[in-house]
Amino acid sequence: MLEKVKDILGTPSDFTAETMDNGYAKMQICFFPGMCDMDQLKDAIVVPFSYRFDPDEFRRMLHTSIGFMKDVPEDQWVDFLLKGYIILEYEGEVFVFRAIRRMQTQPDQTQVEASLQGPQSAFTENLDLNLTLVRNLYNVPELTVENFEPQNQSKSKIALLYDRTKRNETTLEEVRKRLRNLDEGLLLSAGQLAKQISQAKYRLFPITQITERPDRLSIHLNKGKLAVLMDGSRFAILLPVHFFDFMYAMDDHYEPSWMSRFLIGLRYVSMMLTLLLPALYISIVSYNPEVFRVQLAFTIDGSRAAVPYPSFIEVLLMLFMIEALIEASLRLPRSVGSTAATVGGLILGQAAQQAGLVSSIMIIVTSVVAISNFVIPNSTFSYFIRILKYAFVLVAVFAGLVGVVVGIFMLVVYLCNMRSFGEPYFALFQSKAGKASDNIK
Amino acid sequence: MIRYYYYHIFYVGMMNIMVLVPYVLISHRFDGAVSSFPLAIACGTLYSYVTSAVFQRFPGLGLPEIYKLFLPVWLANCLNMVGVVVWCTAGIIVLFSYSNTVGIFFDPEASSYLNLAIMAAASLWAASRTSRSVQFTHEVLLIVSTPIILWILFKALFSHWLDWDAIRLVADAGIRKPPSMVCLFAASFVFSGHMNITLFNRLNPSDLKFRFRWIIPIVGTFFLLVSFFVPIGFHGTQAVGNYLYVWSVTTDSLMMKYGFIQRVLYLFLLLYTFLSLVFVMNTWHTGMEFFKACFKKYKPQTDEVNVPAINWWICGVLAGLTFVYAYFTNDIFNRVAAELWLVTRFIIESILVMLLIVFVVMKKKGYMKRIDESRSPQSGGANR
Repeated sequence: MLEKVKDILGTPSDFTAETMDNGYAKMQICFFPGMCDMDQLKDAIVVPFSYRFDPDEFRRMLHTSIGFMKDVPEDQWVDFLLKGYIILEYEGEVFVFRAIRRMQTQPDQTQVEASLQGPQSAFTENLDLNLTLVRNLYNVPELTVENFEPQNQSKSKIALLYDRTKRNETTLEEVRKRLRNLDEGLLLSAGQLAKQISQAKYRLFPITQITERPDRLSIHLNKGKLAVLMDGSRFAILLPVHFFDFMYAMDDHYEPSWMSRFLIGLRYVSMMLTLLLPALYISIVSYNPEVFRVQLAFTIDGSRAAVPYPSFIEVLLMLFMIEALIEASLRLPRSVGSTAATVGGLILGQAAQQAGLVSSIMIIVTSVVAISNFVIPNSTFSYFIRILKYAFVLVAVFAGLVGVVVGIFMLVVYLCNMRSFGEPYFALFQSKAGKASDNIK
Repeated sequence: MIRYYYYHIFYVGMMNIMVLVPYVLISHRFDGAVSSFPLAIACGTLYSYVTSAVFQRFPGLGLPEIYKLFLPVWLANCLNMVGVVVWCTAGIIVLFSYSNTVGIFFDPEASSYLNLAIMAAASLWAASRTSRSVQFTHEVLLIVSTPIILWILFKALFSHWLDWDAIRLVADAGIRKPPSMVCLFAASFVFSGHMNITLFNRLNPSDLKFRFRWIIPIVGTFFLLVSFFVPIGFHGTQAVGNYLYVWSVTTDSLMMKYGFIQRVLYLFLLLYTFLSLVFVMNTWHTGMEFFKACFKKYKPQTDEVNVPAINWWICGVLAGLTFVYAYFTNDIFNRVAAELWLVTRFIIESILVMLLIVFVVMKKKGYMKRIDESRSPQSGGANR
């Protein structure tokens, strides 16, 4: 057994492969010490084999204990080893013992989707713990978990969750099919997995939602939809989702209803602002200043008196600055991040306007665009909106206000034409998860 | 699901402004426009009742499928082609007149073809989507724009610049004249939202009951009277005849005291951009589906995964035709074309209503050429 394993693995230095001899019997054992829980190894194998050795008892233990798997095919030995299992050969039989080192035993704190009054526990990078979290919240016998072990280079376990009585068969079949046919290559995070199962590289909106909150996942399951969890990722994938799901924060379920409705309305307004303001600024300043009331048109034009170039150059300049600033403060280590904010604040503030590079109105527009973008509760979604803004800017440059309105129309058509795993993505008054159609996108 | 039917009723009622209905009516304001209103209301309501009642008996079937049940193939195809022509020309006329309107009010210097190109491209793309997507789009845009348009209409109604004397004078003089046919045809357009069911019935579930049909005469009458009388009240009985795009000029007489935008005209035009695009999308889409139904291999699909290439081609041809039309016409000819279209539409609609009644009778007697296979509509999660 040892030779076969060594043939495949070579002899990495973090690998232990030995023949143990206690004077009565011999046992071959191999494992990766770094990946295994040494306490378990000691209690389950080393102690019974060495200090308290009794051949009959030891044999009985190997054959009956749940922890030991027998009759594992030879070609899977290495896979088990690489996952942190222990392989031992005793009296010509090979056993696989599960003793994986657990990195996490506590649920994480929420980091991305903060909630003021909701549960504060989030998913961890350990699949078993995540399933526990879901089961604790969605405590019904109908909750079904299906395991998938993709044959890619990461081989991380994937679990598909749904409610047996509420789920929709066609969607489920489709998702199963896609989970079976994942790409080869590394699969490192839930985001990557979501990209692979939604199978569209150039879609303008996400059709799966990524969440770190068990409570969001439970609500989603309760609507009869599916969720995918992946080992080694703090995030779950929810599908199918609607456009409106992205504008929900979990607090909306926990706060008084009027408050949450007001906030949802605020988010939609913010989304429209961050999408359209730059485009509207260009189209109104360069094409149709007469749309605004006279005083306002004069104010805007007066503030642009010092600016030497057309409005779209000004907009692109400021948008570039603000995007660069956002990107910088996201990626920098925390200690440096505040510096970026300070410098950026100086550039984007009074100085640029006093230098006559941009108008003061533009500074306000830029700030509104940036702030509104952060109001959107889902980060993936806000990225998409951030990109889409430029499409509108482009349309405004060439076609003015009419172009922007036609652009909105086309956006609505696009959204209405999207299907998330067969369910309409942007249809009003359909809060319940419905029967999806027989054909699935 | 019933709501989709009323969306169509509503938006066609609002769209009459862009099909030059007010212009036609106002040009006949002293000879028989007003007296044809009661007739138009009666006709429109009757037609709506008949079509909805008939289509309720053929759940999940569009008009082409019903033709196929009762008529020989060549006749069904002829009728389909008539439908194609009527629907598509409506889209083309609206697209042309609206892009002109926008050109006049928004951007007089720009080439008129630029606006036309933008809007034709958007319509092409929207109309070539699947029926269900078209329906969703229709719903979203209507729900967004209707409240604001109604607000503008009511603002006009309660404006103190509105001269009720002029309105009373026209109504008084007009009601004594014998009704004119052209005005009847034009005014009944306000009610022809029910015609859209000819295609979108495919999406209706089999247990659909058309309730609340009393809304139809109310909505239609409201839009008809408002779109005819409000411009008269603003411009006076004589001056109102000077304008082609009557309503745009009328909304320009309104002012918003608060907010960023002062002239209601711009808000109005932007909203009507949505509505016109929705109108063109619906008409072209219907025309496209009717055209496709002429082929033997065609199976009615309401929610395909991927849009078939033929959709692009048909809508592309329509967009091309719009450009050809724009090249050879001007506002004056377009006016005539719109009038012609209104007349033709009414005649076709009348013939269709007769046909539908005949079909129902045939179904009762069992004179069907083929087996009636009521398709259950493909659900996209929308039929609840």
